[in-house]
Parts: sequence; structure tokens; C-alpha cells
Amino acid sequence: MSDGDARMTDVLISRRHFIHGTAAAGVAVFLAACSGGASATSTPGASAAASAAAASAGASPSPSPAPATPKVASGPLKWANWPAYIDLTGQAAANQKYAAGSSPTIVDFEKQYNVKVDYEEKIEENNSFFATIQPQLVTGLPTGWDLIVMTDWMAGRLISLNWLEKIDQENVPNCVANIRDALKSYPWDPNNDYHYPWQSGMTGIGYDSTSLKNAKLPAPTKIADLWTLPSDKVTFLTEARDTFGLALLKLGRPADPTTTTSDDLQAVHDDIAPLVAKGLRFTGNEYLQDFASKKTWAAMVWSGDLANSGSADQHFVFPEEGTMVWSDNMLIPKGAANKYTAELMMNWVYDPKVAAQIANYVYYVSPVKGVEAIVKQLNASSPIPAEKLPLLFPTTDIVAKQHNFESLAADLEKSLNSLYTDLSGA
Amino acid sequence: MTAGAPAMGRRPTIHWRHLIGVSIPYLLLAPGLIWLFVFFIYPSIEMLRISLSSGSLDTGYSLTFSSDAYVTALQKFPHQFGNSILYSALATTFTFLIGFPVAYTVAFRGGRYKNLLLFLVIAPFFTSFLIRTISWKVLLGDEGPLLAFLKHVVHLVPDGFSILGSPVAVVAGLTYNFLPFMILPLYVALEKIDPRLIEASQDLYATNWGAFRRVTLPLALPGVFAGSMLTFIPAMGDYVNATLLGNPQTQMIGNVIQSRFLVLNDYPVAAALSFILMVGILVLVVVYARALGTEQLTG
Repeated sequence: MSDGDARMTDVLISRRHFIHGTAAAGVAVFLAACSGGASATSTPGASAAASAAAASAGASPSPSPAPATPKVASGPLKWANWPAYIDLTGQAAANQKYAAGSSPTIVDFEKQYNVKVDYEEKIEENNSFFATIQPQLVTGLPTGWDLIVMTDWMAGRLISLNWLEKIDQENVPNCVANIRDALKSYPWDPNNDYHYPWQSGMTGIGYDSTSLKNAKLPAPTKIADLWTLPSDKVTFLTEARDTFGLALLKLGRPADPTTTTSDDLQAVHDDIAPLVAKGLRFTGNEYLQDFASKKTWAAMVWSGDLANSGSADQHFVFPEEGTMVWSDNMLIPKGAANKYTAELMMNWVYDPKVAAQIANYVYYVSPVKGVEAIVKQLNASSPIPAEKLPLLFPTTDIVAKQHNFESLAADLEKSLNSLYTDLSGA
Repeated sequence: MTAGAPAMGRRPTIHWRHLIGVSIPYLLLAPGLIWLFVFFIYPSIEMLRISLSSGSLDTGYSLTFSSDAYVTALQKFPHQFGNSILYSALATTFTFLIGFPVAYTVAFRGGRYKNLLLFLVIAPFFTSFLIRTISWKVLLGDEGPLLAFLKHVVHLVPDGFSILGSPVAVVAGLTYNFLPFMILPLYVALEKIDPRLIEASQDLYATNWGAFRRVTLPLALPGVFAGSMLTFIPAMGDYVNATLLGNPQTQMIGNVIQSRFLVLNDYPVAAALSFILMVGILVLVVVYARALGTEQLTG
């Protein structure tokens, strides 16, 4: 039984987990792609100096609240996050696994507020982590966590269940000032009463240029192109929201939690079903291995992966119809023992120079304004390739075509899940 | 009267000793029984309870003795149940066909290399199950060693041909992953056979094939039974091979259970499916045991 469970968690390779897993293979590429960044993060001193230099460029309020505040930091701050999702240095960076004292962001926070942080890479999947905190929350007991990081739809679910602490906006001036406009006013938490995004990413199309060239097929530019390629050489995502979201855009239907109906989802199901009959598969991050083994020629993919793995053959396309956008969000579970410290941490990571330090390592889209200039400065010696820049810092026309199809009403979510499982054969 | 007093004192002692004597077998069994209770009986009861409950993960599940989960489980997934039975039966057959000659060779011709050969059988299994399965993706990949050879060197198959994402790949993965579970019990059974029995049968004018069919094979039956159980049962519940090597049409019942538990958080149907799978396997095992003849298996 325990062996089976181990396999179960092993096989559920999440998008972030994948980066953790392929780090061994991709680390060389990664280092080559941002050697400037790597050298900056490998020594905390250098990174601190760089961010100090950059601080003058950032037009943000001071990261620490006024010292006169009567509130005191308490600890240890218990923080659950996804693997490979924070800046690391030294041996921890080589192992791609957090160890105490290995993350400049956390070390500096501990020094600043004289409080201990228990950071754990405990989240590999939204649902399975939810299952670990659900029993406490349903009975009104504390979960033992002060800060957790969950994807939009799960965050929305926790809010609707009233299982989160309300953020005291006075304690998070950096968040209020620096959150990117595109991430504001989500219908499930329009005023950021309960969440601030940790990192964001996009879902679009990836393709392997060599495979397509050999088959004399044109590179895809829009989602609909995935329907014309040989279906057994195409994969969609196991994250139903991403797959159905992009397919909705392809059909010209809205991918919007407030206007999409079950009929729309049914139409998507009927649109994808013939592809499944012809051999379409659904994958998590394994699409990168499938690209490498030439099993997959084109696929729905996540932007962070493509930014991380730098294979020259693999390209990310922002489809003409638009992309899906999602965030993983910092949340404070109900009954957290160190709520104020959790808010201090939210505030801390919304300081552009701290956010840049994180973004420069994890390679996802930072939710913080003003990070781009600092990251570019950190990588001044070897700039990030122009092709990859929009993956980290999406341009305004990309942002204009982003759709967030994450937090769905219960009945819509139910029909989404059952339509998806029907397609996936399980 | 004088003898009565000590006897009175001794009687409880004898009783006590007797009690210890009687309870020793149970005490020795206790670790196993506790293990069985904690890791099998209690979870099974819990699974049965959840399969008869209704509710959602958000609100918790309550026991309502609703049979809805069983109705869904039986109506919705005949295809996946069929895949599971077919693929694991095929995998068991192939492991037997591949494993028997291996076990026979090691047992009768291994000589001083016996231990080394056995070690070689197990050696790949020092690597994680998952890694071994993923490496099949490389081996069977469209441009992997096998297909690249068939496509570009001998031109036996067309360029677009692939094995991954087909039942062939899933059965191949299952066969490979469970092969040692067939070889080892077969080896143990074959190893025990006294070669003089085979010589005796040949003295009685049995042909090589006759000796094998009438002496070796029947004596190896306990190994065949154990091996096929150890292969078939886990293969029935396996979902890793179908996930990594298959496509949506080759999903097995394990995939459904996994997705019900972890994707849909539909615990009742997942528990009902697990329960049906368990009972189904039990029935198949009993039928199989009857067919092979249980008295031969205990011998």
C-alpha cells in the first residue's frame, strides 16, 4: 500500500515539480541561459549587493513597515510552497531542493524581522495538498501552516469555504502598491482580501521545430492548428482548465468563469473527442520528454517550462486566439498562529528587489511591478534571449489576450471535470 | 490435609503456566495479526464505509448507505475494467512464457553461476519502478533504438509509426515490470525438483517432452500459481504503465481510481471501484486456484 502511494505521488508530476525533476538535465542549459543570474544568486552577498544597487531604480515603498507599529513578528513562520519555487543558493541550488539557510529571500527576512521561517516544499498538487489540510479546516482547527501557495481555482475554493484569514492591507503596503494591474480584480477576490499572487504563468502552444520540419508541416501559430496536425503527435494538458480554456478560445467561445456555460464545455468535449479517437494524449510536464523523444510535435504547454528548459528545437507560441493565465497565490489558512508574520512575508516578497531575486531564479512571471528592470540589471553580463523575454515579462498585447479560466462555480467545475475525465479515459 | 495446602497453592501456578503455553502461538502471531489489522482490515472497512457514503471533500463524507457509488462504478467503466483484465492477463501470460525458460535454465543449468544469474534477474529492480517505466518511453520512442532501426535501417515500418500510446506499449511495460515476480517463484519451485525424478521418468521410456510435461511441469505448478498471482494482482491495479505508455483509450481501472481519488476528489466512487476490484480479483484467484487444483499447490 505504501509503495503504491509513493508511486502515486511520483507519477503526479506537477508543472513546478517537473522543473525540480528535470533540473538535473536542464541545469546546464539553465545556467547557460542565465549565467549572469546564476552567479548573482549563487552568492548571497553578490545578490544582496546587486539588489541594493537596483533598489535605487525601484520606485517602491520601504519593505519594512514603520518601526513604531505595535505588532510584533512571531515565529516560526510555517510556510508550505511548491518545489523549486523560490530562489536558492549553493548546494541547495545544485540539488534543486530547499534547505534551511539556502534562500537569500528567506535568510534576509529572518535577519530583518528576527524571526525563524520554516519553509517546506510540501505542495506537489493542489488537490492532494488540500486533502491534507481539509480535515482540520472543516472542524475549525488550525492547519499548522501560516502561509500556503495555491493555484487560483483552489484559492477561490478556499475563499468560498471561508477557510482563509483576511489580510490586513495596512500590513502589506508593498503588495497594494506593486501588484501588476493584470492580476487585480479577479472575481473571486476582487480586493485581494485573501490572496496575493506568488508567481504567474501562461498556457499556450509549444512545438518542436525539427519534427515539424521533417514532416514538412508548418509551425502552429494558433490553437486551431493543433486540430490539423496528426493527433497522435499532439498532446493536451491534464490540467482540464488549461485544455478546455484554450479549446474554448479556439471555438471562439468565452473562456471566462462568469460567462462560460456547461454547453460551451460540452462543445469543447465534442470538439476534442475525435482527436482522442485518433490518438491524442493528455500529459503533465512530460510533454518535454515527449518533445525530446520526437513523440510529440506540438502541444499545449506552460510558459515556465519553456523558459526553463532551453532546448533550441522547442518554441513557445503565443497563439493568435490568446493564452490562458494562472497564478499561484499566497494565502493564510484560517487559525494561522503567525498571521502578522505571514503578512510581513507577503509584503517582503512584493518588494521589487526581493521579487526580482525570486523571478531571476524560478523563471515564472513575477506578479510584482518594476521587476523587469532589476532582473535585466542582474543579467546585464549575459542578457536573457529576446525570444524568452515575453515568457518572463509578457508584453501588453500578450496581456490583453490573456484569459483566466481558473475559479469556476461548483457546477461548472463538476461538468468540466467529468467531461475531462471522459476524454482522458479515466 | 497436610498435602492439601501446597496443592492449593500450586493449582493457580499450573493454571498460569497452562495459560502461557496456550497463548504463546497467539503472541507469536500477534505482530502479523496487528499488521494485518492495521494495514489491511481497518483500511478495508474504512474503504467500504466511504464507498457507502455521500458528500464532498469540502463538507466531509457521511455514511448514508447509498449504493450510488457502486452503480456509477459498475456502469461507467466497463471499458477500463476490460482493459485491466485483458492487459494483466496478457502480461501474466507473457511473463510466464519469458520467465519459465529463464527460471528453468537458472535452476537446472545455472551451476555455479546460479546466484549471479538470479542477481541479474533482480538487478534492474534496484532502480525505481517509475524510472524503469519512463525508460520504456525512450526505448519504444518514435525515434528510439527499436523504431529508429525498423524505420531507417530495415525500412520495415512507415515513418509515422509509433508503439507508445498503444496497448502494445502498456502490455510490454507491465510484462517487463512484473517479470521477476514470475521468475523467482518459478525458480524456487523448479529448484526443489529432484533431478532423479526426471531421470526415473526417462528410465521409464518417457521422451524429453513427456518427462517435462508429466514430471517437471506438474511439480512446478505451485511456482506457476504463485508467480501468476504475484504478477496478475498488482498488474490489475497498476496505473503507472497505462499513464506513461498508453493513451486515453488504453486506460486501466487503476487510472480511474487514481483520477477519482486525486483529480475529482470523488472518494465514494473511488472506494467502490477499489472494493469491486478487490472482490473481482478474489473471485478470479479462487477460480484459478480451483482450475489448477489447490491440493497440488499446498504440496
